[in-house]
Amino acid sequence: MNAVIIGLSAAGLSCLGTLMRFSPQVNVTAISEEKSLPYCRCALTHYLGRIVREDQMVIADISSYPANVKFILGEKVETLNLSKKTLMVSSGKEVIYDRLLIATGSNALKPEYCDEEKRTFTLRYMGDAKNIEQYARDKVTVLGGGFIGIKAAYGLIERNLKVEMVVSSSYPLSMVLDERTARFVENDLCESGILFHTADDVAEVNMRKDGVAVSLKSGLELFSDVVIVGKGVKPRVDVARRSGLKIDLGIMVNEFLETSAEDVYAAGDCCETMDVARKMPWINALWPVAVEQGYFAALNMLGLVTSYPGSIGMNSLKTRSFHLISGGVLKEEDGVTTFEKHFPHRKQFRKLAVKDNVPVGMAFYNCPDDAGLYINLIKKGTPLNVDPERIVNDEVGIADVLRPL
Amino acid sequence: MKVVVVKPERCVGCLQCRFACAVAHSMSESPHAASYETVLSKPRIHIGLSKNKDLFPNKCRHCDPAPCEMSCLTKAIFRESTTGTVLINPDRCINCGMCAMACPFGVVRYHVYVNNKTAAHKCDQCISRQQKGKVPACVDVCKVGALLFEDYNKVMDRDTDEISSLVYLGIRAKEQEKGAYQSLTEYKRSLEELRRK
Repeated sequence: MNAVIIGLSAAGLSCLGTLMRFSPQVNVTAISEEKSLPYCRCALTHYLGRIVREDQMVIADISSYPANVKFILGEKVETLNLSKKTLMVSSGKEVIYDRLLIATGSNALKPEYCDEEKRTFTLRYMGDAKNIEQYARDKVTVLGGGFIGIKAAYGLIERNLKVEMVVSSSYPLSMVLDERTARFVENDLCESGILFHTADDVAEVNMRKDGVAVSLKSGLELFSDVVIVGKGVKPRVDVARRSGLKIDLGIMVNEFLETSAEDVYAAGDCCETMDVARKMPWINALWPVAVEQGYFAALNMLGLVTSYPGSIGMNSLKTRSFHLISGGVLKEEDGVTTFEKHFPHRKQFRKLAVKDNVPVGMAFYNCPDDAGLYINLIKKGTPLNVDPERIVNDEVGIADVLRPL
Repeated sequence: MKVVVVKPERCVGCLQCRFACAVAHSMSESPHAASYETVLSKPRIHIGLSKNKDLFPNKCRHCDPAPCEMSCLTKAIFRESTTGTVLINPDRCINCGMCAMACPFGVVRYHVYVNNKTAAHKCDQCISRQQKGKVPACVDVCKVGALLFEDYNKVMDRDTDEISSLVYLGIRAKEQEKGAYQSLTEYKRSLEELRRK
């Protein structure tokens, strides 16, 4: 069997590893656009904070794979012929597949003011991080209060730079957190030195002599060496769209991660899978989710039919002063009850959103020990057999929660 | 593949396993010297208490596929191929906290233990002791048999056999008595008596 993997990041590598583990004799061709060895994108913010070196970010050694795995690096996939089961790479070489995995990932959303000449960068590739590093001397402005923005800002704070953040909503992390939890994060980040401009947006970005000036809608002007934009990601589906696969926002897949064409699978940021907490197709562009999808896609590609249980949006934000773990949807909706408890002396805050006795969202602040337990309850849609009030009060242990109903 | 199997119903909460674990992972590996080390060794097994005050020894299950391994951004968490143990390479760990988020059993903690940096910290199934032919430290000191170091399938087989024979004996005893059990607790108690016999 010839398996072909497009994209060699989280989902692609996970798929490759799983294929090699369960069926070492299968012929695999992995195509990647980047010439360098696969590295971890999520660690770019840590790279900015000088927590990791560039060589530590490499996550796979291509030379260690057996001879039946071939790599085509630095080449794009130009066309994909679903009826002939072939694809053409940019050098003109044709590759035949029996099973194909599309793991093209996503690109950072670039607003129109994003320009290298204006020293305004998104943070998605190693080149971006190097550009930011090259210009950042004293002051940096971060636009966007999502996880990527905050992690980048914190990384730069670790480097003793002055960081100002512009957040368009009234509090950071507004997509995943509710206001009360977000305020804890904001306070702690302010203490570490990040200056927030909330409920404000960018009007214009201008290049000045040795610096960038960001004018805000409120009339304020921020002057800095470099601007980082973290406004979310957009799935890369151009090849899939040209080939005629069914696409909504990302590539549409069924529960076995198979696309509308036979023997073509999709995984990672480019595909739209079921969100368990939202109960609708959703793109959770996260590294752990992509790895999981790569694993399940590989099993299905090998004919070991396994349905993918679905993902939830989850993230972990760890700094020197706090550790926030959030998952699912925390927004107040019909039928959703939220439970919360703050322990000021322990600097802990727990919040749990429950719908019909099934947890749908959580945010645990400074209590990482049992957070994973509830993340997994949300992921599996397991009904709670303890009072949610007792969970947020930290009165129950793992033995109560995991005890069968 | 041998793993540490936990039998929560047998645990009495003596915390000997925690002490032995910390000693086994200390630099000196001596119970006397370990408490004087600059970086104190931390136990990797946690005894949780439920609301009914039941004890639950909680440690890494070395799952396959391991959610922590999947969520690890820098591939600091990996599976050792010979024993199937999930291990952490603290040099690669960037302390991002993703593994604590992914672990369904909540066993990952963050401590300073190597190279003066905070890194993820969890059970390594005493891999250095295993290489010397010893069993993991927690299993070694457990007096009540709550921690066993055995092949998972063998333990499951044995438990299933035990349950099936008990159920058979229970049904036979019930037929001889010709009286229905009042409650499930009573039935369980009679099974316990049968087991003792």
